[in-house]
Amino acid sequence: MKMKIKRWQAVAVWKWDLPDEDDVCGICRNVFDGCCPDCKSPGDDCPLIWGQCSHVFHMHCLLKWLEQESSRGQCPMDRRPFVAASA
Amino acid sequence: MSNLSTKRLTKELAELQKKPPGGVTLESADNLSQWVVKVEGAKDTLYQNEVFWLRFTFPSNYPLESPEVVFVRNIPIHPHIYSNGHICLSILYDHWSPALTISSVCLSILSMLSSCTNKERPPDDSRYVAHAAKSPKQTNWAFHDDTV
Repeated sequence: MKMKIKRWQAVAVWKWDLPDEDDVCGICRNVFDGCCPDCKSPGDDCPLIWGQCSHVFHMHCLLKWLEQESSRGQCPMDRRPFVAASA
Repeated sequence: MSNLSTKRLTKELAELQKKPPGGVTLESADNLSQWVVKVEGAKDTLYQNEVFWLRFTFPSNYPLESPEVVFVRNIPIHPHIYSNGHICLSILYDHWSPALTISSVCLSILSMLSSCTNKERPPDDSRYVAHAAKSPKQTNWAFHDDTV
């Protein structure tokens, strides 16, 4: 049988590359494949940020924390100075 | 309240109702900003068979800012708990982190009770209680005892 494709529609799925897909952001407790509470759609508009300490957060959540004077620039998980890992 | 606090508190409320940690029960949460949680003294500790209530009051920017946590009704006799219900525990003040939850705070307080070897009020209890502000978050705490 010979077929001629006249039209096609591509569908793709994406996921953040994380060891555990069900992992949640330690600040908002939403799953990483979802977005932070202030965003509508996950993905490039609501990126994740990795620290050198290996802890991950929604970037928007982490920035809100670091803006607090009481954060002293520390990672919420281990209280060491938060330094973003270079990609 | 911000999106962050409303959504996070809604999640924590559901989790606390569905699967609370051992010895912890949500007693009331009439609104999202103030809850009362019942905690039971652990078995084989000085507080076995005792029941206490913690009142959580959440600021509008929770969890970026710590909740106010105090004992109400029945105040445990403990070297770090004042008779007005204020608790000297660093994670509630200087060492707060947004990664802490209501459950984890309750467990820390229970563990503070469990490790107690001598039931007594803090040595400066009457002086502190006479001058303390209504909220323990106004107190300038000094944390010097890492053992309890």
